[in-house]
Amino acid sequence: MTVGEMLRRFFLVDLLKGMWVTFRHQNPADLVTEQYPLQRPEISDRFRGQPRLMKDENGKVLCTACGACALACPEKLIKVGSVRDPETKKKVLTEFDFDLGRCMFCGLCEEACPSDAIMLSPDYELALYTREGMELQRPQLENGIERKVYEK
Amino acid sequence: MIDYIVGYLHSGVTPGEAGNLFWETIYVLLVFLGISIGVIFMNWFERKVMAHMQVRIGPMRVGPHGLLQPIADALKLIIKEDLMPSGADKIVFWFAPVCVVMTAFCGFIVVPFGRTHAITDMNIGVLFMLGVSSLGVLGVIMAGWASNSQYPLMGSLRSGAQMVSYEVAMCMSVVSAVMMTSLVTGTGTMSMIGIVQAQEQQHMWFAFSFFPVGLTALGVFAIAMVAETNRAPFDLPEAESELVAGFLTEYSGFRWSLFFLAEYAGMMAVSAIAATLWLGGWLRPFPHLLGGAAWDTAFSLVPGLGFLLLGALCLFYTARMPKLRSMRGNLIGLAAFGAFLALLGAFMLLPAVRIRVQDIFWFTIKVGFFMYLYIWYRTTFPRYRFDQLMKIGWKFLLPISIGVVVLTAVIGVRQELLALVFSSWGGGR
Repeated sequence: MTVGEMLRRFFLVDLLKGMWVTFRHQNPADLVTEQYPLQRPEISDRFRGQPRLMKDENGKVLCTACGACALACPEKLIKVGSVRDPETKKKVLTEFDFDLGRCMFCGLCEEACPSDAIMLSPDYELALYTREGMELQRPQLENGIERKVYEK
Repeated sequence: MIDYIVGYLHSGVTPGEAGNLFWETIYVLLVFLGISIGVIFMNWFERKVMAHMQVRIGPMRVGPHGLLQPIADALKLIIKEDLMPSGADKIVFWFAPVCVVMTAFCGFIVVPFGRTHAITDMNIGVLFMLGVSSLGVLGVIMAGWASNSQYPLMGSLRSGAQMVSYEVAMCMSVVSAVMMTSLVTGTGTMSMIGIVQAQEQQHMWFAFSFFPVGLTALGVFAIAMVAETNRAPFDLPEAESELVAGFLTEYSGFRWSLFFLAEYAGMMAVSAIAATLWLGGWLRPFPHLLGGAAWDTAFSLVPGLGFLLLGALCLFYTARMPKLRSMRGNLIGLAAFGAFLALLGAFMLLPAVRIRVQDIFWFTIKVGFFMYLYIWYRTTFPRYRFDQLMKIGWKFLLPISIGVVVLTAVIGVRQELLALVFSSWGGGR
Protein backbone atom coordinates (compact mmCIF):
# COMPACT_ATOMS: atom_id res chain seq x y z
CA MET A 1 0.00 0.00 0.00
CA THR A 2 1.42 3.35 -0.97
CA VAL A 3 1.43 6.36 1.30
CA GLY A 4 -1.19 8.14 -0.78
CA GLU A 5 -3.50 5.18 -0.61
CA MET A 6 -3.02 4.94 3.16
CA LEU A 7 -3.86 8.61 3.58
CA ARG A 8 -6.92 8.14 1.38
CA ARG A 9 -8.12 5.30 3.57
CA PHE A 10 -7.33 7.05 6.82
CA PHE A 11 -9.18 10.24 5.94
CA LEU A 12 -12.10 8.25 4.45
CA VAL A 13 -11.78 10.12 1.15
CA ASP A 14 -13.87 7.60 -0.78
CA LEU A 15 -16.67 7.72 1.77
CA LEU A 16 -16.69 11.52 1.67
CA LYS A 17 -16.84 11.41 -2.13
CA GLY A 18 -19.86 9.13 -1.91
CA MET A 19 -21.51 11.49 0.54
CA TRP A 20 -20.94 14.39 -1.82
CA VAL A 21 -22.65 12.45 -4.61
CA THR A 22 -25.76 11.78 -2.54
CA PHE A 23 -25.79 15.36 -1.27
CA ARG A 24 -25.65 16.73 -4.79
CA HIS A 25 -28.61 14.64 -5.89
CA GLN A 26 -30.91 16.52 -3.51
CA ASN A 27 -31.18 19.20 -6.17
CA PRO A 28 -34.88 19.25 -7.15
CA ALA A 29 -33.87 19.57 -10.80
CA ASP A 30 -32.55 15.99 -10.64
CA LEU A 31 -35.96 14.50 -9.80
CA VAL A 32 -37.10 11.75 -12.14
CA THR A 33 -40.25 10.66 -10.32
CA GLU A 34 -43.56 11.96 -11.64
CA GLN A 35 -46.80 12.18 -9.70
CA TYR A 36 -48.53 10.07 -12.29
CA PRO A 37 -52.20 10.93 -12.45
CA LEU A 38 -51.50 14.64 -11.97
CA GLN A 39 -48.32 14.82 -14.01
CA ARG A 40 -48.07 12.83 -17.20
CA PRO A 41 -44.84 11.81 -18.85
CA GLU A 42 -43.94 13.11 -22.28
CA ILE A 43 -43.91 10.09 -24.57
CA SER A 44 -41.76 9.94 -27.67
CA ASP A 45 -43.63 9.84 -30.99
CA ARG A 46 -41.82 6.63 -31.82
CA PHE A 47 -43.27 4.85 -28.78
CA ARG A 48 -45.41 1.90 -29.88
CA GLY A 49 -48.61 1.93 -27.83
CA GLN A 50 -52.28 1.64 -28.61
CA PRO A 51 -52.96 0.90 -32.35
CA ARG A 52 -54.96 3.53 -34.22
CA LEU A 53 -56.52 3.73 -37.67
CA MET A 54 -55.58 7.11 -39.13
CA LYS A 55 -57.92 9.38 -41.10
CA ASP A 56 -57.21 11.98 -43.75
CA GLU A 57 -58.11 15.65 -43.34
CA ASN A 58 -61.69 15.00 -44.51
CA GLY A 59 -62.22 12.46 -41.76
CA LYS A 60 -62.13 9.51 -44.16
CA VAL A 61 -60.26 6.42 -43.03
CA LEU A 62 -57.03 6.00 -44.95
CA CYS A 63 -57.20 2.21 -44.89
CA THR A 64 -57.65 0.65 -48.34
CA ALA A 65 -58.44 -2.78 -46.90
CA CYS A 66 -55.53 -4.35 -48.76
CA GLY A 67 -54.85 -6.73 -45.88
CA ALA A 68 -51.06 -6.27 -45.90
CA CYS A 69 -51.04 -5.69 -42.15
CA ALA A 70 -52.96 -8.89 -41.49
CA LEU A 71 -50.41 -10.77 -43.59
CA ALA A 72 -47.47 -9.10 -41.90
CA CYS A 73 -48.69 -9.68 -38.36
CA PRO A 74 -46.65 -12.52 -36.80
CA GLU A 75 -49.47 -13.23 -34.31
CA LYS A 76 -52.23 -13.17 -36.96
CA LEU A 77 -54.35 -11.00 -34.73
CA ILE A 78 -55.59 -8.51 -37.33
CA LYS A 79 -58.75 -9.30 -39.27
CA VAL A 80 -59.63 -7.01 -42.15
CA GLY A 81 -63.13 -7.29 -43.61
CA SER A 82 -64.07 -5.57 -46.89
CA VAL A 83 -66.64 -5.47 -49.65
CA ARG A 84 -66.08 -4.46 -53.25
CA ASP A 85 -67.92 -1.32 -54.23
CA PRO A 86 -69.89 -2.30 -57.38
CA GLU A 87 -69.61 1.21 -58.93
CA THR A 88 -65.92 2.13 -58.40
CA LYS A 89 -64.70 -1.50 -58.32
CA LYS A 90 -62.65 -0.60 -55.22
CA LYS A 91 -62.43 -2.44 -51.91
CA VAL A 92 -64.21 -0.66 -49.05
CA LEU A 93 -63.32 -1.35 -45.44
CA THR A 94 -66.17 -2.82 -43.42
CA GLU A 95 -64.57 -4.10 -40.24
CA PHE A 96 -61.14 -4.09 -38.72
CA ASP A 97 -60.52 -6.28 -35.64
CA PHE A 98 -57.36 -5.95 -33.62
CA ASP A 99 -56.80 -8.33 -30.69
CA LEU A 100 -54.64 -6.20 -28.41
CA GLY A 101 -54.33 -9.03 -25.87
CA ARG A 102 -52.03 -10.93 -28.20
CA CYS A 103 -50.21 -7.95 -29.68
CA MET A 104 -46.51 -7.65 -28.88
CA PHE A 105 -46.21 -4.13 -30.31
CA CYS A 106 -43.59 -5.17 -32.87
CA GLY A 107 -44.80 -2.56 -35.35
CA LEU A 108 -44.64 -4.83 -38.43
CA CYS A 109 -48.23 -3.92 -39.39
CA GLU A 110 -47.24 -0.28 -39.32
CA GLU A 111 -44.32 -1.00 -41.65
CA ALA A 112 -46.33 -3.13 -44.02
CA CYS A 113 -49.13 -0.61 -44.49
CA PRO A 114 -48.81 1.07 -47.92
CA SER A 115 -51.11 3.98 -47.03
CA ASP A 116 -49.88 4.77 -43.48
CA ALA A 117 -53.34 3.94 -42.17
CA ILE A 118 -52.43 1.83 -39.15
CA MET A 119 -50.17 3.30 -36.56
CA LEU A 120 -49.06 2.31 -33.07
CA SER A 121 -49.76 5.57 -31.27
CA PRO A 122 -47.98 6.88 -28.14
CA ASP A 123 -51.08 6.29 -25.97
CA TYR A 124 -49.90 4.08 -23.16
CA GLU A 125 -52.86 3.67 -20.80
CA LEU A 126 -54.06 0.25 -21.93
CA ALA A 127 -55.07 -1.38 -18.63
CA LEU A 128 -58.55 -2.92 -18.64
CA TYR A 129 -60.84 -4.80 -16.32
CA THR A 130 -61.80 -7.55 -18.78
CA ARG A 131 -60.01 -9.61 -21.39
CA GLU A 132 -62.84 -9.06 -23.86
CA GLY A 133 -62.17 -5.33 -23.92
CA MET A 134 -58.84 -5.99 -25.56
CA GLU A 135 -60.45 -7.03 -28.84
CA LEU A 136 -60.57 -3.61 -30.47
CA GLN A 137 -63.16 -2.84 -33.14
CA ARG A 138 -63.18 -0.03 -35.71
CA PRO A 139 -64.66 2.72 -33.49
CA GLN A 140 -62.01 2.23 -30.82
CA LEU A 141 -59.26 2.09 -33.40
CA GLU A 142 -60.44 5.22 -35.13
CA ASN A 143 -61.29 7.36 -32.11
CA GLY A 144 -59.15 5.85 -29.37
CA ILE A 145 -60.37 3.90 -26.36
CA GLU A 146 -62.86 5.86 -24.28
CA ARG A 147 -61.88 5.98 -20.63
CA LYS A 148 -64.10 6.62 -17.70
CA VAL A 149 -62.75 9.59 -15.75
CA TYR A 150 -63.16 9.08 -12.02
CA GLU A 151 -63.72 12.06 -9.76
CA LYS A 152 -62.29 12.03 -6.28
CA MET B 1 -50.27 32.69 39.43
CA ILE B 2 -48.74 34.78 36.63
CA ASP B 3 -46.44 36.44 39.15
CA TYR B 4 -45.37 32.99 40.28
CA ILE B 5 -44.57 31.86 36.72
CA VAL B 6 -42.71 35.07 35.88
CA GLY B 7 -40.87 34.88 39.20
CA TYR B 8 -39.79 31.35 38.40
CA LEU B 9 -38.63 32.30 34.91
CA HIS B 10 -36.26 34.84 36.47
CA SER B 11 -34.72 32.33 38.88
CA GLY B 12 -32.00 31.17 36.44
CA VAL B 13 -31.66 27.54 37.58
CA THR B 14 -33.14 24.27 36.39
CA PRO B 15 -36.18 22.98 38.29
CA GLY B 16 -34.17 19.98 39.48
CA GLU B 17 -31.62 22.24 41.16
CA ALA B 18 -34.39 24.37 42.65
CA GLY B 19 -36.10 21.22 43.94
CA ASN B 20 -39.39 22.46 42.51
CA LEU B 21 -41.59 19.42 41.93
CA PHE B 22 -44.29 21.32 40.00
CA TRP B 23 -41.91 22.74 37.42
CA GLU B 24 -40.05 19.43 37.20
CA THR B 25 -43.28 17.72 36.18
CA ILE B 26 -44.01 20.40 33.61
CA TYR B 27 -40.50 20.18 32.18
CA VAL B 28 -40.68 16.38 31.99
CA LEU B 29 -43.96 16.62 30.09
CA LEU B 30 -42.57 19.33 27.81
CA VAL B 31 -39.43 17.35 27.03
CA PHE B 32 -41.47 14.20 26.39
CA LEU B 33 -43.77 16.13 24.08
CA GLY B 34 -40.85 17.80 22.32
CA ILE B 35 -39.03 14.53 21.73
CA SER B 36 -42.20 12.87 20.44
CA ILE B 37 -42.79 15.73 18.02
CA GLY B 38 -39.14 15.49 17.06
CA VAL B 39 -39.56 11.77 16.31
CA ILE B 40 -42.65 12.47 14.21
CA PHE B 41 -40.81 15.19 12.32
CA MET B 42 -37.73 13.00 11.88
CA ASN B 43 -39.86 10.24 10.40
CA TRP B 44 -41.15 12.62 7.73
CA PHE B 45 -37.80 14.36 7.27
CA GLU B 46 -35.89 11.10 6.88
CA ARG B 47 -38.26 9.82 4.22
CA LYS B 48 -38.14 13.12 2.36
CA VAL B 49 -34.37 13.59 2.50
CA MET B 50 -33.71 9.96 1.61
CA ALA B 51 -36.11 10.25 -1.30
CA HIS B 52 -34.43 13.39 -2.62
CA MET B 53 -30.97 11.86 -2.27
CA GLN B 54 -32.24 8.89 -4.30
CA VAL B 55 -33.78 11.25 -6.89
CA ARG B 56 -37.32 10.45 -5.81
CA ILE B 57 -39.93 12.73 -4.22
CA GLY B 58 -41.04 10.72 -1.21
CA PRO B 59 -44.44 10.98 0.48
CA MET B 60 -46.65 13.51 -1.32
CA ARG B 61 -50.26 12.43 -0.83
CA VAL B 62 -51.17 12.61 2.86
CA GLY B 63 -51.23 16.32 3.53
CA PRO B 64 -49.21 18.89 1.61
CA HIS B 65 -45.84 17.37 0.68
CA GLY B 66 -46.71 14.37 2.86
CA LEU B 67 -46.54 16.37 6.08
CA LEU B 68 -49.24 14.25 7.71
CA GLN B 69 -47.70 10.94 6.60
CA PRO B 70 -46.19 10.09 10.04
CA ILE B 71 -49.58 10.58 11.68
CA ALA B 72 -51.22 8.30 9.11
CA ASP B 73 -48.48 5.73 9.72
CA ALA B 74 -48.98 5.94 13.48
CA LEU B 75 -52.74 5.42 13.08
CA LYS B 76 -52.10 2.41 10.87
CA LEU B 77 -49.70 0.93 13.41
CA ILE B 78 -52.12 1.42 16.28
CA ILE B 79 -55.02 -0.33 14.55
CA LYS B 80 -52.84 -3.24 13.42
CA GLU B 81 -53.24 -6.60 15.12
CA ASP B 82 -51.02 -6.99 18.14
CA LEU B 83 -49.36 -10.36 17.62
CA MET B 84 -47.76 -12.46 20.31
CA PRO B 85 -45.90 -15.53 19.01
CA SER B 86 -46.94 -18.84 20.53
CA GLY B 87 -44.41 -20.01 23.05
CA ALA B 88 -43.20 -16.46 23.65
CA ASP B 89 -42.23 -15.44 27.14
CA LYS B 90 -45.22 -13.17 27.63
CA ILE B 91 -43.97 -10.95 30.43
CA VAL B 92 -40.55 -10.39 28.89
CA PHE B 93 -42.09 -9.92 25.44
CA TRP B 94 -44.37 -7.26 26.91
CA PHE B 95 -41.65 -5.59 28.93
CA ALA B 96 -38.94 -5.38 26.23
CA PRO B 97 -40.37 -2.41 24.25
CA VAL B 98 -41.26 -0.64 27.50
CA CYS B 99 -37.69 -1.08 28.70
CA VAL B 100 -36.23 0.24 25.45
CA VAL B 101 -38.50 3.31 25.45
CA MET B 102 -37.89 4.03 29.12
CA THR B 103 -34.13 3.97 28.76
CA ALA B 104 -34.23 6.03 25.58
CA PHE B 105 -36.29 8.78 27.21
CA CYS B 106 -34.56 8.64 30.61
CA GLY B 107 -31.36 10.11 29.21
CA PHE B 108 -33.13 13.36 28.40
CA ILE B 109 -33.37 14.17 32.13
CA VAL B 110 -29.91 15.74 32.03
CA VAL B 111 -29.85 17.11 28.48
CA PRO B 112 -29.43 20.90 28.73
CA PHE B 113 -31.50 22.68 26.07
CA GLY B 114 -30.32 25.91 27.70
CA ARG B 115 -28.89 27.10 30.98
CA THR B 116 -32.29 26.83 32.65
CA HIS B 117 -33.98 24.58 30.10
CA ALA B 118 -33.05 21.22 31.53
CA ILE B 119 -35.03 18.98 33.84
CA THR B 120 -32.13 18.77 36.23
CA ASP B 121 -28.38 19.16 36.42
CA MET B 122 -26.44 16.16 37.68
CA ASN B 123 -22.80 16.26 38.62
CA ILE B 124 -22.37 12.97 36.73
CA GLY B 125 -24.60 13.98 33.81
CA VAL B 126 -22.60 12.42 30.95
CA LEU B 127 -22.01 9.21 32.86
CA PHE B 128 -25.72 8.99 33.68
CA MET B 129 -26.64 9.45 30.05
CA LEU B 130 -24.18 6.86 28.75
CA GLY B 131 -25.21 4.41 31.47
CA VAL B 132 -28.92 4.78 30.85
CA SER B 133 -28.62 4.62 27.09
CA SER B 134 -26.56 1.43 27.27
CA LEU B 135 -29.32 -0.15 29.34
CA GLY B 136 -31.24 -0.18 26.06
CA VAL B 137 -29.17 -3.26 25.10
CA LEU B 138 -31.02 -5.13 27.83
CA GLY B 139 -34.36 -4.37 26.19
CA VAL B 140 -33.04 -5.47 22.80
CA ILE B 141 -31.75 -8.80 24.16
CA MET B 142 -35.01 -9.31 26.04
CA ALA B 143 -36.95 -8.73 22.84
CA GLY B 144 -34.83 -11.26 20.97
CA TRP B 145 -35.02 -13.88 23.70
CA ALA B 146 -38.74 -13.54 24.42
CA SER B 147 -39.79 -13.85 20.77
CA ASN B 148 -39.13 -17.61 20.77
CA SER B 149 -37.77 -17.40 17.25
CA GLN B 150 -34.33 -17.82 15.74
CA TYR B 151 -33.91 -14.65 13.71
CA PRO B 152 -34.76 -12.28 16.56
CA LEU B 153 -32.39 -14.14 18.86
CA MET B 154 -29.53 -13.91 16.37
CA GLY B 155 -30.33 -10.26 15.72
CA SER B 156 -30.46 -9.33 19.36
CA LEU B 157 -27.18 -11.10 20.12
CA ARG B 158 -25.50 -9.27 17.25
CA SER B 159 -27.02 -6.03 18.41
CA GLY B 160 -25.88 -6.61 21.99
CA ALA B 161 -22.34 -7.40 20.91
CA GLN B 162 -22.24 -4.35 18.67
CA MET B 163 -23.60 -1.91 21.24
CA VAL B 164 -21.29 -3.15 23.98
CA SER B 165 -18.16 -3.03 21.82
CA TYR B 166 -18.80 0.45 20.45
CA GLU B 167 -19.57 1.74 23.93
CA VAL B 168 -15.87 1.43 24.75
CA ALA B 169 -14.63 3.72 21.98
CA MET B 170 -17.50 6.11 22.63
CA CYS B 171 -16.71 6.42 26.35
CA MET B 172 -13.01 6.92 25.64
CA SER B 173 -13.73 9.91 23.43
CA VAL B 174 -16.14 11.25 26.05
CA VAL B 175 -13.32 10.99 28.60
CA SER B 176 -11.15 13.26 26.47
CA ALA B 177 -13.90 15.91 26.38
CA VAL B 178 -14.40 15.63 30.14
CA MET B 179 -10.65 16.08 30.64
CA MET B 180 -10.76 19.27 28.58
CA THR B 181 -13.26 20.82 31.01
CA SER B 182 -10.53 21.16 33.64
CA LEU B 183 -8.22 23.26 31.46
CA VAL B 184 -8.71 26.84 32.61
CA THR B 185 -10.51 26.44 35.90
CA GLY B 186 -8.47 23.47 37.11
CA THR B 187 -11.56 21.50 38.18
CA GLY B 188 -13.19 19.18 35.67
CA THR B 189 -16.87 18.36 35.60
CA MET B 190 -19.14 15.70 34.14
CA SER B 191 -22.28 17.78 34.48
CA MET B 192 -23.76 18.52 31.07
CA ILE B 193 -24.39 22.15 31.99
CA GLY B 194 -20.89 22.39 33.51
CA ILE B 195 -19.32 21.10 30.29
CA VAL B 196 -21.05 23.76 28.21
CA GLN B 197 -20.07 26.44 30.71
CA ALA B 198 -16.46 25.24 30.55
CA GLN B 199 -16.55 25.71 26.76
CA GLU B 200 -17.93 29.19 27.34
CA GLN B 201 -15.11 30.03 29.74
CA GLN B 202 -12.40 28.62 27.48
CA HIS B 203 -13.82 30.61 24.53
CA MET B 204 -13.64 27.44 22.43
CA TRP B 205 -15.88 24.56 21.48
CA PHE B 206 -14.16 21.34 22.48
CA ALA B 207 -14.32 20.17 18.85
CA PHE B 208 -11.63 22.78 18.09
CA SER B 209 -9.57 22.47 21.28
CA PHE B 210 -5.96 21.28 20.64
CA PHE B 211 -6.91 21.41 17.03
CA PRO B 212 -6.96 17.91 15.57
CA VAL B 213 -7.46 16.21 18.94
CA GLY B 214 -10.91 17.46 19.81
CA LEU B 215 -12.10 17.01 16.25
CA THR B 216 -10.80 13.43 16.20
CA ALA B 217 -12.65 12.69 19.44
CA LEU B 218 -15.82 14.08 17.89
CA GLY B 219 -15.21 11.99 14.77
CA VAL B 220 -14.77 8.80 16.79
CA PHE B 221 -17.89 9.61 18.79
CA ALA B 222 -19.85 10.41 15.64
CA ILE B 223 -18.98 7.03 14.11
CA ALA B 224 -19.48 5.09 17.36
CA MET B 225 -22.87 6.67 17.99
CA VAL B 226 -24.17 5.43 14.65
CA ALA B 227 -23.19 1.89 15.59
CA GLU B 228 -24.50 2.38 19.12
CA THR B 229 -27.97 3.23 17.87
CA ASN B 230 -27.96 0.40 15.28
CA ARG B 231 -28.34 2.69 12.31
CA ALA B 232 -27.09 2.22 8.76
CA PRO B 233 -24.33 1.47 7.78
CA PHE B 234 -24.01 -0.44 11.05
CA ASP B 235 -27.60 -1.77 11.14
CA LEU B 236 -26.44 -5.38 11.24
CA PRO B 237 -29.12 -6.50 13.71
CA GLU B 238 -31.74 -5.41 11.20
CA ALA B 239 -29.95 -6.77 8.13
CA GLU B 240 -33.07 -7.88 6.28
CA SER B 241 -31.18 -10.05 3.81
CA GLU B 242 -29.81 -12.17 6.64
CA LEU B 243 -32.04 -11.76 9.66
CA VAL B 244 -35.44 -10.62 8.34
CA ALA B 245 -35.77 -7.69 10.77
CA GLY B 246 -33.53 -8.75 13.65
CA PHE B 247 -35.06 -8.43 17.08
CA LEU B 248 -38.06 -6.61 15.59
CA THR B 249 -39.18 -9.62 13.52
CA GLU B 250 -41.94 -10.83 15.83
CA TYR B 251 -43.13 -7.39 16.89
CA SER B 252 -46.01 -5.66 15.18
CA GLY B 253 -48.38 -2.77 15.59
CA PHE B 254 -48.05 -0.64 18.66
CA ARG B 255 -45.15 -2.56 20.22
CA TRP B 256 -43.15 -2.16 17.03
CA SER B 257 -43.89 1.56 17.01
CA LEU B 258 -42.52 1.75 20.57
CA PHE B 259 -39.23 0.31 19.30
CA PHE B 260 -39.31 2.81 16.47
CA LEU B 261 -39.90 5.68 18.91
CA ALA B 262 -37.05 4.44 21.10
CA GLU B 263 -34.68 4.18 18.15
CA TYR B 264 -35.23 7.79 17.13
CA ALA B 265 -35.23 9.05 20.73
CA GLY B 266 -31.94 7.21 21.24
CA MET B 267 -30.50 8.83 18.11
CA MET B 268 -31.49 12.23 19.45
CA ALA B 269 -30.03 11.43 22.87
CA VAL B 270 -26.57 10.53 21.54
CA SER B 271 -26.70 13.48 19.14
CA ALA B 272 -27.48 15.67 22.14
CA ILE B 273 -24.40 14.29 23.94
CA ALA B 274 -22.24 15.02 20.89
CA ALA B 275 -23.66 18.54 20.55
CA THR B 276 -23.19 19.27 24.25
CA LEU B 277 -19.71 17.87 24.60
CA TRP B 278 -18.09 19.12 21.42
CA LEU B 279 -20.28 21.69 19.72
CA GLY B 280 -20.94 23.98 22.67
CA GLY B 281 -24.46 22.84 23.56
CA TRP B 282 -26.80 25.80 23.71
CA LEU B 283 -24.10 28.40 22.95
CA ARG B 284 -24.65 30.42 19.80
CA PRO B 285 -21.92 30.41 17.14
CA PHE B 286 -18.97 32.73 17.92
CA PRO B 287 -20.11 34.01 21.36
CA HIS B 288 -16.72 35.71 21.89
CA LEU B 289 -15.39 36.44 18.42
CA LEU B 290 -18.62 38.28 17.59
CA GLY B 291 -19.35 39.35 21.16
CA GLY B 292 -21.15 42.44 22.38
CA ALA B 293 -24.74 43.55 22.78
CA ALA B 294 -25.29 44.28 19.07
CA TRP B 295 -24.21 40.80 17.97
CA ASP B 296 -26.21 39.25 20.85
CA THR B 297 -29.34 40.98 19.59
CA ALA B 298 -28.59 40.01 16.00
CA PHE B 299 -28.13 36.33 16.85
CA SER B 300 -31.20 36.27 19.11
CA LEU B 301 -33.27 37.40 16.10
CA VAL B 302 -32.19 34.34 14.08
CA PRO B 303 -34.78 31.83 15.47
CA GLY B 304 -37.72 34.15 14.82
CA LEU B 305 -36.46 35.09 11.37
CA GLY B 306 -35.83 31.41 10.60
CA PHE B 307 -39.42 30.52 11.39
CA LEU B 308 -40.65 33.49 9.38
CA LEU B 309 -38.58 32.22 6.45
CA LEU B 310 -40.05 28.72 6.84
CA GLY B 311 -43.55 30.21 6.85
CA ALA B 312 -42.73 32.24 3.75
CA LEU B 313 -41.42 29.07 2.05
CA CYS B 314 -44.67 27.27 2.87
CA LEU B 315 -46.68 30.11 1.36
CA PHE B 316 -44.41 30.11 -1.69
CA TYR B 317 -45.03 26.40 -2.21
CA THR B 318 -48.76 27.01 -1.70
CA ALA B 319 -48.66 29.48 -4.56
CA ARG B 320 -46.78 26.98 -6.73
CA MET B 321 -49.16 24.08 -6.10
CA PRO B 322 -51.24 22.89 -9.06
CA LYS B 323 -54.68 24.52 -8.95
CA LEU B 324 -56.85 21.43 -8.91
CA ARG B 325 -60.06 20.76 -7.07
CA SER B 326 -58.66 17.59 -5.52
CA MET B 327 -55.72 19.56 -4.12
CA ARG B 328 -57.80 22.24 -2.43
CA GLY B 329 -57.54 20.64 1.02
CA ASN B 330 -53.77 20.45 0.74
CA LEU B 331 -53.66 24.03 -0.48
CA ILE B 332 -55.56 25.38 2.52
CA GLY B 333 -53.61 23.12 4.88
CA LEU B 334 -50.23 24.24 3.64
CA ALA B 335 -51.25 27.90 3.70
CA ALA B 336 -52.50 27.51 7.27
CA PHE B 337 -49.30 25.73 8.26
CA GLY B 338 -47.21 28.50 6.70
CA ALA B 339 -49.25 31.15 8.49
CA PHE B 340 -48.82 29.25 11.77
CA LEU B 341 -45.05 29.07 11.30
CA ALA B 342 -44.89 32.76 10.44
CA LEU B 343 -46.93 33.65 13.54
CA LEU B 344 -44.62 31.48 15.64
CA GLY B 345 -41.65 33.31 14.12
CA ALA B 346 -43.23 36.68 14.89
CA PHE B 347 -43.88 35.51 18.46
CA MET B 348 -40.22 34.51 18.78
CA LEU B 349 -39.13 38.01 17.78
CA LEU B 350 -40.61 39.44 21.02
CA PRO B 351 -37.68 40.42 23.27
CA ALA B 352 -38.94 38.51 26.33
CA VAL B 353 -39.43 35.34 24.29
CA ARG B 354 -36.36 35.45 22.10
CA ILE B 355 -33.80 35.52 24.92
CA ARG B 356 -35.35 32.33 26.30
CA VAL B 357 -35.89 30.59 22.99
CA GLN B 358 -32.50 31.18 21.41
CA ASP B 359 -30.72 28.58 23.62
CA ILE B 360 -33.19 25.89 22.64
CA PHE B 361 -32.95 26.94 19.01
CA TRP B 362 -29.16 26.67 18.75
CA PHE B 363 -29.16 23.36 20.62
CA THR B 364 -31.84 21.97 18.32
CA ILE B 365 -29.92 23.12 15.25
CA LYS B 366 -26.82 21.26 16.44
CA VAL B 367 -28.78 18.10 17.23
CA GLY B 368 -30.54 18.45 13.89
CA PHE B 369 -27.18 18.54 12.13
CA PHE B 370 -26.31 15.14 13.57
CA MET B 371 -29.76 13.79 12.71
CA TYR B 372 -29.22 14.93 9.12
CA LEU B 373 -25.87 13.12 9.15
CA TYR B 374 -27.67 9.92 10.23
CA ILE B 375 -29.95 10.14 7.20
CA TRP B 376 -27.05 11.05 4.96
CA TYR B 377 -25.03 8.01 6.07
CA ARG B 378 -28.04 5.80 5.58
CA THR B 379 -28.51 6.77 1.96
CA THR B 380 -24.82 6.75 1.09
CA PHE B 381 -23.11 3.77 2.67
CA PRO B 382 -23.74 0.07 2.13
CA ARG B 383 -24.00 -2.12 5.19
CA TYR B 384 -20.79 -3.49 6.72
CA ARG B 385 -20.21 -7.17 7.31
CA PHE B 386 -20.21 -8.24 10.95
CA ASP B 387 -16.48 -8.98 11.12
CA GLN B 388 -15.75 -5.64 9.43
CA LEU B 389 -17.93 -3.96 12.01
CA MET B 390 -16.05 -5.54 14.90
CA LYS B 391 -12.74 -4.73 13.18
CA ILE B 392 -13.65 -1.06 12.87
CA GLY B 393 -14.78 -0.95 16.47
CA TRP B 394 -11.87 -2.69 18.16
CA LYS B 395 -8.90 -2.23 15.81
CA PHE B 396 -9.62 1.24 14.48
CA LEU B 397 -11.83 3.36 16.73
CA LEU B 398 -10.64 2.08 20.11
CA PRO B 399 -6.90 2.70 19.52
CA ILE B 400 -7.66 6.14 18.07
CA SER B 401 -9.86 7.08 21.00
CA ILE B 402 -7.28 5.89 23.55
CA GLY B 403 -4.65 7.87 21.64
CA VAL B 404 -6.93 10.91 21.82
CA VAL B 405 -7.27 10.54 25.59
CA VAL B 406 -3.50 10.25 26.04
CA LEU B 407 -2.84 13.19 23.72
CA THR B 408 -5.43 15.33 25.52
CA ALA B 409 -3.80 14.55 28.84
CA VAL B 410 -0.26 15.25 27.58
CA ILE B 411 -1.09 18.50 25.78
CA GLY B 412 -3.33 19.66 28.61
CA VAL B 413 -0.70 19.06 31.29
CA ARG B 414 1.96 20.72 29.12
CA GLN B 415 -0.22 23.78 28.70
CA GLU B 416 -0.97 23.97 32.42
CA LEU B 417 2.73 23.57 33.29
CA LEU B 418 3.73 26.29 30.82
CA ALA B 419 1.08 28.58 32.29
CA LEU B 420 2.41 27.80 35.77
CA VAL B 421 6.01 28.51 34.75
CA PHE B 422 5.13 31.79 33.04
CA SER B 423 3.04 32.95 35.99
CA SER B 424 5.87 32.15 38.46
CA TRP B 425 8.31 34.11 36.28
CA GLY B 426 5.88 36.98 36.19
CA GLY B 427 5.52 36.83 39.98
CA GLY B 428 9.34 36.84 40.51
CA ARG B 429 9.88 39.93 38.43
